[in-house]
Amino acid sequence: MPELTEAQVRALAETLELPMTPDDAAEVTHRLNAFIEALAPLVDLPAGGPEPVPAPIDPDGA
Amino acid sequence: MHDVLASGGVSLDPFLGAARQAALVRARQVSPIELVRAYLERIDRLDGRLRAYITVTREAALDAARHAEDAVTRGAPLGPLHGVPFAVKDQFATRGVLTTAGSRILAHHVPDEDATVVARLTAAGGILLGKLNLTEFALVGTIHYPFGQPRNPWHTDHDTGGSSAGSGAAVAAALCAVSLGEDTGGSVRTPASWCGVAGHRPTWGLVSRHGCIPLSWSHDAPGPLGRTVEDCALLLEIIAGADPRDPLTARRPVPDYRAALTGEVRGLRVGVIRELTHGDETEPEVRDAVVAATGVLRTLGAEVDEVSLPLIPRAGAAFMAICDSEGAGLHLSWLRSRADEYDEGTRRRLLAASLLPAVLLQKAQHARALVRQQVRDALVRHDVLVAPTSHRAAPTIANFTTPITSTKEAAARFFTRRSFTTPAALAGAPAVAVPCGFGVSGLPLSLQIIGRRFEDATVLRVAHAYEQSTDWHRRRPQL
Repeated sequence: MPELTEAQVRALAETLELPMTPDDAAEVTHRLNAFIEALAPLVDLPAGGPEPVPAPIDPDGA
Repeated sequence: MHDVLASGGVSLDPFLGAARQAALVRARQVSPIELVRAYLERIDRLDGRLRAYITVTREAALDAARHAEDAVTRGAPLGPLHGVPFAVKDQFATRGVLTTAGSRILAHHVPDEDATVVARLTAAGGILLGKLNLTEFALVGTIHYPFGQPRNPWHTDHDTGGSSAGSGAAVAAALCAVSLGEDTGGSVRTPASWCGVAGHRPTWGLVSRHGCIPLSWSHDAPGPLGRTVEDCALLLEIIAGADPRDPLTARRPVPDYRAALTGEVRGLRVGVIRELTHGDETEPEVRDAVVAATGVLRTLGAEVDEVSLPLIPRAGAAFMAICDSEGAGLHLSWLRSRADEYDEGTRRRLLAASLLPAVLLQKAQHARALVRQQVRDALVRHDVLVAPTSHRAAPTIANFTTPITSTKEAAARFFTRRSFTTPAALAGAPAVAVPCGFGVSGLPLSLQIIGRRFEDATVLRVAHAYEQSTDWHRRRPQL
């Protein structure tokens, strides 16, 4: 996936009404691109398998 | 001074375990008042450097100690933690006591009730000494701690690990008998590892989260840190069990965890996680210590072999996507209105998570289900899995305070380390960290033991058997 630019990250943040300093924007761009890069291989995971329930389900548990 | 406590003619070591202290109080050989005074003296003497505490509840602790002593004198029924001074991460609500979550945003927050876990510890006779420092809102990555930089008792230039930073440091430096932390993705086990103590992440759903300031509802798990595995078992026994105020707690009966500490592991099947133990990221001294630890387990009669969990290298990123997104959702309002009150490291972590594409979060949730399945499948063939708790000993504090200037650096700083502790969190499984050696720098190394859901007794049993066969837990930092 292509990396996001700092300007794109600023635009996303403005959409969500999230204030960012210039230093924030630079570092958030690196962090977000790291996230996207690290998660990219997950796109190729097989679609089947266990359902992505948020927490383990126990028959006699919660 | 006062490294040996004198109480009624009995010499008491402040590094003595909480379970042993409780037994001595019950036998009237040690006074709760003397115990509290001794720890307060150590806090006064050492915590200016270590900054393990945010708040010390001095007068309330002394008052509780007087009541505890009176109960002993009267022959009243005594709880399992009677007269023992403990401290809790400042993420847990305490009635009438400042509860900051390590943030300026909550710098004046005083709850009107105790978290369930705190209420259970005090009902068991424990004496609250104070509230322990942590990374802001339990998100690891704080640059400037609002209440002081926590420091590793083994080397004060080094990090304690987080997020339960003070919980690790206070136990390692004997600034309390035992402590409570909260483990979202390794926040009990990492400080336990880097500070050289035992720490237990309970099965998710075993311990109530009521009154715990949340980070990630689907992972948060309050858990104990102690100088011995027995102390972790003692605390777990007290805090575990259904709580009507946390509807996601399991309704199972709570086992006698201390009774499980038999020292017997003969015939248990132990799987060594290949990707974590022998992976490129693992420091050789850590790998060697863990391999040596598996040798000890084999000598004790366990059957040890290797197991592969291929998705584990992706666990750190998948965990952070889910955890940070849940956290960002909780913090959205404050991120908009009080952004400048956050530490810059916390703010930037939450901002990045706020902007994560939803489709990638869905993929992370799918990866969580697959990691959970891989862990569960491995635990069909094995009773426990073992791995390093961390890929290295505690780094220097400076290591975490420099700005992030590249995507590669962000990935290295945030995802690699978390691949070690997050598989258990993603699986909702119990995991113990127990000291397994010291590195060339003199800093502690740690073995992680992961078990099946609700088989916390088994991981504690293996950890205890290993601990009792070695003397790593008997070493003390020079303070």
